[in-house]
Amino acid sequence: MAVANEIEKRPSVKKSQASDGSVERDRLRMMMLIRRFEEKTFQEYTKPGQKIGGFCHLYSGQEAIAVGTAALFDKNRDALINGYRCHGHSLALGMTPRAAIAEMYGKVTGCSKGKGGSMHLFDASVGNHGGHGIVGGQLPLGLGFAFAQSYKKTGGVTFCFMGDGAINQGTFNEALNLASLYKSPVIYVVENNGVAMGTQIERHSAEKDLSKRACGFNMPHRNVDGNDVDTVIKEFGEAVERGRAGEGPTFLSANTYRFRGHSMSDAMKYRSKEEAEKAKLRDPISIYSTRLRDANFITDEQLESLQESVSNEVTEAFAQADADPHPPLEDRFNDALAETYPYQPE
Amino acid sequence: MREALRAAMTEEMERDENVFLMGEEVAEYNGAYKVSEGMLKKFGPKRVWDTPISEAGFAGLGVGAATMGLRPIIEFMSWSFTWVCIDQIINNAANVRYMSGGQYKVPIVFRGGNGIAHQLGATHSHRMESVYARIPGLITVAPSTPYDAKGLLKSAIRCDDPVIFLESEKMLNDTAEVPEEEYLLPLGVANVERKGEDITIVSYGRPLQRVVREAVRHLVEDHGIDVELIDLRTLRPLDTNTILESIKKTNRCVIVDEDWGYCGMGAGILYKIQKAAFDYLDAPIDYVHSDEIPVPFNHYLEEAMMPSVDRIVSAVKEACYR
Repeated sequence: MAVANEIEKRPSVKKSQASDGSVERDRLRMMMLIRRFEEKTFQEYTKPGQKIGGFCHLYSGQEAIAVGTAALFDKNRDALINGYRCHGHSLALGMTPRAAIAEMYGKVTGCSKGKGGSMHLFDASVGNHGGHGIVGGQLPLGLGFAFAQSYKKTGGVTFCFMGDGAINQGTFNEALNLASLYKSPVIYVVENNGVAMGTQIERHSAEKDLSKRACGFNMPHRNVDGNDVDTVIKEFGEAVERGRAGEGPTFLSANTYRFRGHSMSDAMKYRSKEEAEKAKLRDPISIYSTRLRDANFITDEQLESLQESVSNEVTEAFAQADADPHPPLEDRFNDALAETYPYQPE
Repeated sequence: MREALRAAMTEEMERDENVFLMGEEVAEYNGAYKVSEGMLKKFGPKRVWDTPISEAGFAGLGVGAATMGLRPIIEFMSWSFTWVCIDQIINNAANVRYMSGGQYKVPIVFRGGNGIAHQLGATHSHRMESVYARIPGLITVAPSTPYDAKGLLKSAIRCDDPVIFLESEKMLNDTAEVPEEEYLLPLGVANVERKGEDITIVSYGRPLQRVVREAVRHLVEDHGIDVELIDLRTLRPLDTNTILESIKKTNRCVIVDEDWGYCGMGAGILYKIQKAAFDYLDAPIDYVHSDEIPVPFNHYLEEAMMPSVDRIVSAVKEACYR
């Protein structure tokens, strides 16, 4: 499979053209890092003496979407916002595994100083506007970032992710209509893993083809293979170009599969063993590593060493975060407000 | 009042191009209540935005735009309509800064008419102050005069925190002298509107304008009770210091609002002051509020449910053992 040639045809990923495969290997490594991080999180969460509190939603199986997005993302002007399944995107945009797991431990070294938790990984330095816990609550916010990008004429675009459960919320209707009306440069992406918590699409959406949900908003829309990072880069890249050119929003259904449950308490009884086995054949990491191997971008030895390196990085990050301190108790009063009161403007 | 609000927005939009106005009918229709009349013409469509009827959509848009460095003024036709977008205000405007460990700030003003505005029925007559003033991460402001409205709104627009700005449709026609030159009023500072020795009355916004001032006049002129009247101006953060200093002098206090009593705004104010005031009190703090029923449509029933001059006078007399 001539991956390199395919990539060269894509204007949106010109950066990687001269690649000797290093860009592709980095992408593969990030997908592997996310997977390893999530599987280690699963182990930690389910161990006795659980150190990760609260809800926790794992991204395993959906890595191609986060890594494909990060390949297109301009940290100086773009914005990204997410639902609560936000670990993968945060790592892909450069959050250190330590800052991510420390946040899930509630530690002061966490990206949000232990005030957000698993569902709320924020990193303002790269335009990561966090994960949001209320299903669909982030859709108007993503619209607002794009509105600001357009207002300030930065050429930036906003990626606003949601799960397939979010399309049934009222904010979906309001935000997509406004985005199209105002021609805001927002790319709405459903990470369609086929099930809203435990309710399959067949039982939650009258229209099975989720991309068609955008028809009423006069917005370009399509289905994307969310398990193929190259496809994600190509299809999302076109939406990014549209946004940067001032042509308005796009709606994409990135179809994928989550290997883990909705959250940690989910035994996934709604899935058959056959379905899960079949899904593994479409594992985004296997697809991409096979492709890179076929293109002579990576050898089996390199793959093994990548695996070892991400495993070490994750183990080290978890150990560091474990040793990190909790925030001082008085810190609970900080960060609620930006001003001090009484407030008298100058 | 209408002109004072418009002047505040206009001055701030002239001062800072990141300030914009958005809401239902604010642009081409010139405002559902004409507060923004002429602003589209003055500033153009890039600064004054009409929206579809999508409160959650445009409230959230404002929050998102604020975290990106803009300073949105989001007008709600009525605060009663914010029940359908309350997630955007409470979970997003108020929480994003805290949940991100202080990485983002949310300089936004949400403004519009609040409370009972005569025969609008139960759904359009909500007094939202106790809903929003209890939320950490939000600032809640309720002006009672055109002068205050202008000075407070200008400060709210410059403030880096999300501000809930509670106006009243029934106050928009109020007239008063408002200076042409720039002035700003602090957020979180109450105004002692009338100094007195006998009792402290605490109120704010529409109830203050509708009945409290008149009740104070009766109490002073007809009953010889020297009332100290405190206009809170800001409901969160509450200026407990000004209230307590007053009670230390008068030893008596009555709180008046148009909220429901149980978990109402006044109940929250009571919680904030009763312990510190206890040793100085010669009578229990009383709370005059609306009857605990949905707001009736009928004019007489609606009037009857709300605090009246008589109710305030009798509560004050009782607190003064008169």
